[in-house]
Amino acid sequence: MQILVGIKWVPNTSNVRFDPKTGALIREGVPSIVNPHDLDAVEFALDLRDRYGGEVNALSMAPPSAIEGLEQVLGMGVDSAILVSDRIYGGADTLATSYVLAHAVKRISNQRGKLDLVIFGQETIDSSTAHIAAQTASWLDLPYLYYVRSVEIKENGFIAVERWLEDEKTIYDLPLPAVLGVAMKSREPRPVRLIYKIRAKAEKPIEIVTNEILKLNPNCVGLKGSPTWVSKIDYTPEVKRKREVFMDPDAGKAAKWLMQKYADEDINLIGGAHR
Amino acid sequence: MSTEHSTPNASPSTNRFDAIVVGAGPAGSSASFTLARKGFKVLMIDRGRRAGTKNMYGGRVYSEPLEAIFPSLRKDAPVHRWVKAERLSFVSDEGLTSIEYRGGESKSFTTYLPELVNWMRAKAEEAGALVATEVRVDRLVVEKEKVIGVQAGPDTVYADTVIDAEGVNRLLLEGAWQMNVPRQEDLAIGLKETIKLDAERVNQRFGLEDEGMAWILLGSVTRYIPGGAFVYTNRDSVSIGLVLFLSHAVKRTNGHISRLLEDFRLHPKLKHLWRDGELLEYSAKLVPEYWRGFMPRRLSGAGLLVVGDAAGVLLNNGMTIRGVDLAAYSGYLAAETFTKAHAEGDFTSEMLSAYGRRVEESFIGRELRKHNGLEYIRRNPHFFDQYPRLVNSGLGRIFNIGLESPTIWKALRGAQKDVGPDAWTAIKDMYKIGRTL
Repeated sequence: MQILVGIKWVPNTSNVRFDPKTGALIREGVPSIVNPHDLDAVEFALDLRDRYGGEVNALSMAPPSAIEGLEQVLGMGVDSAILVSDRIYGGADTLATSYVLAHAVKRISNQRGKLDLVIFGQETIDSSTAHIAAQTASWLDLPYLYYVRSVEIKENGFIAVERWLEDEKTIYDLPLPAVLGVAMKSREPRPVRLIYKIRAKAEKPIEIVTNEILKLNPNCVGLKGSPTWVSKIDYTPEVKRKREVFMDPDAGKAAKWLMQKYADEDINLIGGAHR
Repeated sequence: MSTEHSTPNASPSTNRFDAIVVGAGPAGSSASFTLARKGFKVLMIDRGRRAGTKNMYGGRVYSEPLEAIFPSLRKDAPVHRWVKAERLSFVSDEGLTSIEYRGGESKSFTTYLPELVNWMRAKAEEAGALVATEVRVDRLVVEKEKVIGVQAGPDTVYADTVIDAEGVNRLLLEGAWQMNVPRQEDLAIGLKETIKLDAERVNQRFGLEDEGMAWILLGSVTRYIPGGAFVYTNRDSVSIGLVLFLSHAVKRTNGHISRLLEDFRLHPKLKHLWRDGELLEYSAKLVPEYWRGFMPRRLSGAGLLVVGDAAGVLLNNGMTIRGVDLAAYSGYLAAETFTKAHAEGDFTSEMLSAYGRRVEESFIGRELRKHNGLEYIRRNPHFFDQYPRLVNSGLGRIFNIGLESPTIWKALRGAQKDVGPDAWTAIKDMYKIGRTL
């Protein structure tokens, strides 16, 4: 199987702070990491390769500092990586990003003569749009499934894809090639291995692709090609906790009291939105 | 379709090195840089995401040993401030007394250690070392009592010599040499908070003009637990922290030890110095405090050299704390020893034992031996309790005058009667300190 897996190099949002006055992200001193959900996708891809053979390549659109992140996934066992990097790609929204990625995917597919799967993480921790996989699939006109948990290769050139929604599990037959979004936290990413890391450093299997190579219309990429932008960031209003304690040895009474509280707050437990 | 993806061929070019350095801290990076510059094939492994992320220290590096290893240090190292102000304070419930020295020349600087170590790592990489991060080495591979490589997960990589720069938690060494875990008495615990403060405020509040201050405080800042507190000014932040002798800290702290650091940060006489600052980071580290107890009986074996904290090359004499430069220089000496061994094609324990002698004969050995008498101070907790109080109580009597001022002798005598120690102990202590210093 020829598998391509998308990697986003993101600020570690667990450390990110906002400027309380401007609402802008404080990037200073915030280290970047590989989007954690993309590591699930890498694990997913490597597991497929372990079972069916083939190759896994990583693809990222990012500034050159992302090489560090690509070395991490190469350390996990990814065979090679492509870094699409050009100043004119900067400031891109999901549309402009997926446009570039789709062209990079096409180029790789042509180079290798074959590409079976393009795999993405479910979403990214810095923007959480979950757009990229769907948009890339649509630029490429390929079938796409999200919340994917597992894949089996079938005899007829199809794959059986298992997808879990909140209360159902569906198995789809998809023709190859296809685009998949892997359900986040569905996998435990394997650790980096020493010999893979040595190989990543010694053989430098990272190809840097600029717009001189992709030759995309500058109006379709980066800030210029982005019809959406973040106009303002607001804090979620803080919800004051109304801490109350009800003490009674009679559990039935306590339950009744609790149910009444829910009713007072207009919380509908039967609907089961929070399970 | 094949059912198994095979492991890439661990070809001789990727699984065999002249030297493997475990740990990309100051000692490991210095060893790697020195070896790579000489053209050796070096692999440096670190378990952090990048070199330096596992490193922590108080805040000041003495530059001369580092300049001997990295000639371009003054030109391109990430120095925050060259230290030109030294302050020593005795703090107690009675007051705060400081001695301050300001000189023109500076031979030490403040910086963030991860930044400095990453710079050292970059130098090693530029020189040709291969650096593999995010990998934890699980054990030293020993064959016929010679270390022949390292194992990390399922992978084994081989070298003529392994340089162990794993740090104070020397699990690899304990495994290979069946060493005991270190004793509490030989260790200290360092705690630190980094507080962001713009450069102008740092300058104003500490009376600086872009130079650095190193400040040691003794007494109530550690709740009189043997050890001390420190403040270092960085470019646009201050590092504040405590170093506590572990055996005392274990006995005398209730609750979480970070409480002590919070008390220091909120100290009524000090807190204005970092007021409105933003807490960036909290960190803690074990310090190989007493080298005589902590240093392994030998610093090398067949195919193995031990450097940095793992080797216990750290000096704390109360006023001067040196770890990074000593560690780096031990890495440099290990690299020099390896070079000699390589020329002879001999990596036996006899050959590599030259490293231990080099350490002993270098300034590292001389410095460590010189300050050996400090053991006396360490073993007498009243140094950290009664003397800071004595100084402040005495000066309080001299400066807080009612109608009539006391003679200095009376003031000191009164203070001594108040807070101790008894006269005989004081005389004994003075004699010991005189001899030690």
